[in-house]
Amino acid sequence: MNPIRKQRIYALIAILAGSILAVGLVISALSKNLNLFYSPTDLLNNNLSSDTLIRAGGMVREGSIKRSSDSLSIAFTVTDFKNDLLINYSGILPDLFSEKAGVVVQGYLESEGTFRAVEVLAKHDENYMPPEVAKLLEEDE
Amino acid sequence: MIPEIGHILLVIALVLSFVGGLGAFALKRELPVLKISFILNLLLIGSFFALIYSFLIDDFSVAYVAQNSNTNLPIYYKFAATWGAHEGSLILWILSMNIWLLTFIFFDNSKNTNFSNYVFGVCCLVIFSFLLFTIFTSNPFERILPIPPINGADLNPSLQDFAFTVHPPLLYFGYSGLLIPFAISISAMLSGQPNKDWASSSRPWTLLACSFLTIGIGLGSWWAYYELGWGGWWFWDPVENAAFVPWLLAVALVHSLLVTENRNIFINWSLLLSIFAFAASLLGTFLVRSGILTSVHAFALDPERGLFILGIFSFFVLGGLVIFAFKNSTKNVASIYSLNSKEFGLLLNNLLLVVLAVSILFGTLYPLIYEAFTDGKQISVGAPYFEFIIFPFAILLGLLQGIALYISWGSTKSFSFIGKLIVEAISISLLTLVLLFILFDELISASFFTIFIFAWILAGSLMINFSLKPFANYLDFVNRRIGVMLSHIGMALLVLGVGVVSSYSSEKELIIKPGEKVEFLNKDIELLAIKDVQGPNFISKTAEIKVSDDKRVFNIQSEKRTYFPSGQVTTEAGIDTGLFRDFYVSMGDNFKEDSWSFRLQSKPFIRWIWLGALLITLGTFISSINLIRKQ
Repeated sequence: MNPIRKQRIYALIAILAGSILAVGLVISALSKNLNLFYSPTDLLNNNLSSDTLIRAGGMVREGSIKRSSDSLSIAFTVTDFKNDLLINYSGILPDLFSEKAGVVVQGYLESEGTFRAVEVLAKHDENYMPPEVAKLLEEDE
Repeated sequence: MIPEIGHILLVIALVLSFVGGLGAFALKRELPVLKISFILNLLLIGSFFALIYSFLIDDFSVAYVAQNSNTNLPIYYKFAATWGAHEGSLILWILSMNIWLLTFIFFDNSKNTNFSNYVFGVCCLVIFSFLLFTIFTSNPFERILPIPPINGADLNPSLQDFAFTVHPPLLYFGYSGLLIPFAISISAMLSGQPNKDWASSSRPWTLLACSFLTIGIGLGSWWAYYELGWGGWWFWDPVENAAFVPWLLAVALVHSLLVTENRNIFINWSLLLSIFAFAASLLGTFLVRSGILTSVHAFALDPERGLFILGIFSFFVLGGLVIFAFKNSTKNVASIYSLNSKEFGLLLNNLLLVVLAVSILFGTLYPLIYEAFTDGKQISVGAPYFEFIIFPFAILLGLLQGIALYISWGSTKSFSFIGKLIVEAISISLLTLVLLFILFDELISASFFTIFIFAWILAGSLMINFSLKPFANYLDFVNRRIGVMLSHIGMALLVLGVGVVSSYSSEKELIIKPGEKVEFLNKDIELLAIKDVQGPNFISKTAEIKVSDDKRVFNIQSEKRTYFPSGQVTTEAGIDTGLFRDFYVSMGDNFKEDSWSFRLQSKPFIRWIWLGALLITLGTFISSINLIRKQ
């Protein structure tokens, strides 16, 4: 075979293999690692199984934060001003977590209206609102 | 008065860059490009200083100062607050593009007047568009009149920190450095036939941009680790990806330019990559500053700004591609290389880097795509996606890197190649075994891969010492090889750090009160006291913690700070740093009386990540300087 043609074929095979590897990886990674965002109202309207990792969010309702006095468990209510969602979490909260602030939690829906958070997401600016939450509040107004 | 002068200087710079840009394309004769770049530089520096001055004298009638400073802010941070938010950082960005241009023109000794003119012209037009953007959507000198606030709102407390003050300038310098390879490519296509000479004039600047990008990203990671108080060093946040993707493309470009320079092939590919690397850096700007993606990096969110940057992005990227399609008279020289040649190795290197960059970009943008196609449903693509993607690429790239330095152009003499491979394989097995034995009690498969790839790259980088005639011409060897050796060894250290810290970190959260003792990883940890401390612009609760194990006893302080006037709370982690293990304590919340929650973390080998980044920075910097000197 013409050496130049042979060389082109090798390059083409490499490029094809690389692209196939990438597409395969991307598809399989996406199918496992997509976390849909739900507002408390969405969660009421959707029947979700309790073993899918999802994101939920809204505003932390004033006066709803309840800490245990001797363990790291904490419970608080997140609201989109139509419906509420009770969040249970165990661990240290980010510094910017506070009442009447927007929050996004990642975790599992347990039973109707309760959510077990495995992660409470921190943002490093207090004026910053996660776009998901900002959108919820906008819709509300 | 001073802010107005700053503003006027910006406007003059706008006009000058526009005239310079048009002139460079319209006039077919030698232009005083060095002089114009220098004047542009003075104008921008003047404007930048006007902004710094407004910060230093607490001129709160300037809206940008009022939003990002405060009379209580220590003077050093007032200075650094200049680039603490969107508007000021843009000025810095434009200034750094101009410094790149000035440096390039200064060292440029090309005989082709058109070539220099076009590089100058492209840079001027980019600078012009950024100035236009700044003046019309993000003017840092805008006044709050007639009644200015008495005091400012304060600089975000997490930004009141040393690494923050140096991380953005270096990162912007890296980002904007990709302008030069872009301008050189456009200019080469317009002024003649891009060939190996074009590649040799582009390579040092790409290396230099790469060097600054690496240190900028590395510092950002280091800052996030110790300042944000939760002990992570990389979050796969869209903004981090927006810096990582240009970095990957810049690294790919460095390698493909090497092929073009030496073999006169891959020309079209190098041209395209130059365009895409610059495009990625513009896209990064767009993602960071438009607020369309959920990110921990908060810049003021403004769709109008986003649209403007998108306009700049489309103009230059599409323009570049149009020139590539219609003005490019590249003739690829047929060159024969075999599967065991350097050419083929670098082809694989480029393929892997670019495909990885595209996959990461895809994951970063996927929430937007998804939202558009599902009528506003919101998703996020988390760290697991990116970790899953990067793992196989890292292994393949690592394997390739191990043999990179001793395969030769055209074809590698098979005997010596296999001989070296055998020597390398033996030395690596030994090194791996020794390291595993010394470093770890337990073995998990990830650590095996990690250490193997580490040893493989390290051995491969050091092996070239034996492949050349040692000491025959030692200085020449140092000059030619030290840069590439340092950066490749840096990569090995980085891989080891990332692998070990991901597999062997451990953490524990608990509540403890003064006088109480707990155990963590064979260490006794005692909370001695919680003290009230008053800082210049914050009050803090400082936890004094005594840590003792069988080797030594030391104290760690972790703080919970409340900054005024914003009232924002931040955690200052207490870190006992070590080459092999960091011990990281962050303070959580107050429970009854003086008991507090704490998060204790052990981070083995985390320093190696930044050490590796530092070596890559140094290596690429040295290579670049050597090449510029040779020109």
